[in-house]
Amino acid sequence: MKKRGIGYAATFYGTGYGNGFPDESRATVEINANGEIILSVEVSDVGSGGISVMWQIASETLNIDRNLIKLQYDNTSKMLDSGTAAASRQTYNTGNAVLDACKKIKINIDKYYNKVEIIKNKKVLTELYQKFISDNQELKYEGYFKATTSQVDLETGIGEPYWPYTFGINRAIVEVDCETGKVDVIDVVAVYDAGKIVNPVLAEGQIIGGVSMGMGYAIMEEVNVLKGSIKNCNYSDYIIPTSKDMPKVTTYFVEANEASGPYGAKGLGEPAMLPTAPAILNAIYDAIGVRLTEFPATCDRILLELKNKGV
Amino acid sequence: MKTVGKDIIRPDAYDKIIGKAIYPDDIEIEGMLYAGVKRTTIPYGRVLSINSEEIKKVPGVVAVIDYKMIPGAISHGVIFKDIPTLVKDVFKRVGDCLLLVVAKDKASLKIALDNVKVEYEEYKGVFTVEDALKEDAPILGDGSNILYDIKVKKGDIEKGFEEAAFIAENFYHTQMTEHVFLQPECAVSTIDDDGKINVYVATQYPHYDREEVAKCLDMNEEDIRIINTTIGGAFGGREDINPQCHAALATYITKRPVKVLYSREESVISHSKRHPMKLYYKTGVKDDGKLCALKVRIYGDTGAYASWGMNVLRKSAVHATGPYEIPNVDVRAQAIYTNNPYSGAMRGFGAAQVPLAHEAQMDILAEKLAMHPLQFRYLNAFKVGSVTATLQELKSSVGIKECMEKLAQIDNIQLDKDVRE
Amino acid sequence: MIKVTMTVNGKLYTREIPPMMRLLDFIRDELKLKGTKEGCGEGECGACTVIIDGDIYNSCMVLATSCEGKRITTIEGISGAELHPIQEAFLEVNAVQCGYCTPGMILSAKALLDKNINATEKEMKEAISGNLCRCTGYQKIIEAVKLAQKKLKKR
Repeated sequence: MKKRGIGYAATFYGTGYGNGFPDESRATVEINANGEIILSVEVSDVGSGGISVMWQIASETLNIDRNLIKLQYDNTSKMLDSGTAAASRQTYNTGNAVLDACKKIKINIDKYYNKVEIIKNKKVLTELYQKFISDNQELKYEGYFKATTSQVDLETGIGEPYWPYTFGINRAIVEVDCETGKVDVIDVVAVYDAGKIVNPVLAEGQIIGGVSMGMGYAIMEEVNVLKGSIKNCNYSDYIIPTSKDMPKVTTYFVEANEASGPYGAKGLGEPAMLPTAPAILNAIYDAIGVRLTEFPATCDRILLELKNKGV
Repeated sequence: MKTVGKDIIRPDAYDKIIGKAIYPDDIEIEGMLYAGVKRTTIPYGRVLSINSEEIKKVPGVVAVIDYKMIPGAISHGVIFKDIPTLVKDVFKRVGDCLLLVVAKDKASLKIALDNVKVEYEEYKGVFTVEDALKEDAPILGDGSNILYDIKVKKGDIEKGFEEAAFIAENFYHTQMTEHVFLQPECAVSTIDDDGKINVYVATQYPHYDREEVAKCLDMNEEDIRIINTTIGGAFGGREDINPQCHAALATYITKRPVKVLYSREESVISHSKRHPMKLYYKTGVKDDGKLCALKVRIYGDTGAYASWGMNVLRKSAVHATGPYEIPNVDVRAQAIYTNNPYSGAMRGFGAAQVPLAHEAQMDILAEKLAMHPLQFRYLNAFKVGSVTATLQELKSSVGIKECMEKLAQIDNIQLDKDVRE
Repeated sequence: MIKVTMTVNGKLYTREIPPMMRLLDFIRDELKLKGTKEGCGEGECGACTVIIDGDIYNSCMVLATSCEGKRITTIEGISGAELHPIQEAFLEVNAVQCGYCTPGMILSAKALLDKNINATEKEMKEAISGNLCRCTGYQKIIEAVKLAQKKLKKR
């Protein structure tokens, strides 16, 4: 017999290294003779879309078409240190450094081209470059951002460990097969506040991927370690969701503007996976009246709990 | 706005859909050698001997490198430099690197690595946080098995529970998980005529890799270049050093381009994991539905090396309440060394484990209160001006109630908004 | 060494290769076509997917010598001057994140739509179920396959 259940879970996530650790990002922006803007920034795009985010922030700030902006993001001898692509910090931290660099050059661009229309023509940039040269303006501008957090006291926890915070809630519907213990996740609605969303379609991709990883965490994935040795080192034994396992995922963003973020943006990469697993586990309880406290909720564990409960 | 807030096609997508995006293993260089490491197969012990001399004689082998041949630092780590680049004598986990072998092709390398014989003196290891905290446990850390210990206290926890109409008290046990980024670790290194070293790798932080490679080779950071290729996923698993130093070291010694490529199995064995955690949760709620007290104890199995263990458990402690305002809080979180695979960064970073507990508690209490679980969460959720367990005031951009309102609207649930303030 | 002849992306290749060489290594190392990726080497992840005579295979599980006389298509072979509609669709709906699964996904989708232009969503999910993706959660990939289906039907 299959039983349906519904579950909710809410989470928050403080982005950045936090705890007063120097959380710094840098970026440089330069105008060249070819009529291009070169944006150098250490944004390791692990698949997240970080490159696109920096590109969009630069284009918006400079009022220059993104196709005239070239990104340099891969070589330590050609870019400054912007820290890790981690802690969901790139959009907020490094995005702010890009914003800072772009604002600096924009002040000088405005002296020659101060129109509402976006610059789409390479020729305009080449002329700008010539004017920068003839007026002895700097061609390259460095942007910097440092996040504000403070160290927590180890005895009391008092402090401001992270900033800003991203929030999210998931609602999951599951179907549990009481004979086999198998859980099918049918539908997930995911609602997040990550501040202003720089690229909605990319952000949605992050959320759906996060739901997938959260689902694996809830009902499938476990590294089996015996005497320090991992027993499931391959994909036939360590199971992650496939296309057939995925529920329908619907994503919404409420954009609570964060004044200190670039265009109001906060981080998203990690928060995307947080509420899904607990929402699924709560839905399993709603379906079969059994609450698991050891995870993941595999078929074996569910059957055992059902048996213990005498169902 | 013209660009921000718009669905722009990402600039890296085109190369990816035509198969032209370059990941490290797609790089081939004339005269390139292949390097790999022999790893420990027991969790805790000391190396007595390795048949390095025999391995040098295997056909196709160009160099056999042990820790003595490292010009600089022999270990690395994101905070504490405790992970051996090549083991000196004592090691603490399965998968530590013993010997770096460089060969002219993949086949010779495999034969050479298969023939490495290691004699160990095996020590008694610890594999659970409970055992690691026992008095007679072998000490894996710096004088203690507790890497990190943090307390978060707010209000008066005793008084808080006295006010409670309902209490939920449970233990939870979260599992170790793996990143499963699809592209296994790989690095290619080259040497310029002036001796500068270039390392092509898929990494989350090129400047950190540069620092570690420079320390390993005892070179100036300016003389090392890290070139970040297209990255085949990471999820935190590419924060610690893996093939970077080995590739650079092999190039430094042979003066040739070198590729280090992991199999899937080696990938899983080598990089960090998500902390398994044991969590004790006691949550109290008043009869009006307001949370009044939370006591939490968290024991994180941080494995053999520190990596980000401190930061992960700190994140767990700070996020232990969930996104709810609770006046009385008493949290303690510890990162504990064992001889298990080392735990470190993985998407969520300590804030992924605690929701499995706090959100179960919320549902248990909602049921006791006979309140809709969304309504119960809404009643307690942070808002602008809320004070967290660490006494941090949330001054702006707190959209959790709006998220809940949106969800209620989608699911056609009537939230009682009067309880909001 | 064994002599083998096969057609890859419309071009005939003859090579002398070791008998145990995997098709994946033949494609990547012999032909230098690097778009076919190795993710697990055990036929579990689908990153090395290629099309052999119309059907998808994990090229890590196929011996190159067994492909004598066969027609192989890799990611490099599906578009000419213009992108294949499946590639266009992957771009347009943001079905690409880290990109490592992408070539295999596109080839699995192509083999499906070549055989059955009227494939249902369920059949699409089935068709890519051997291709693991850790980034996207698959939903946008399925959206891309549906969009490609529309594009192909219009042709």
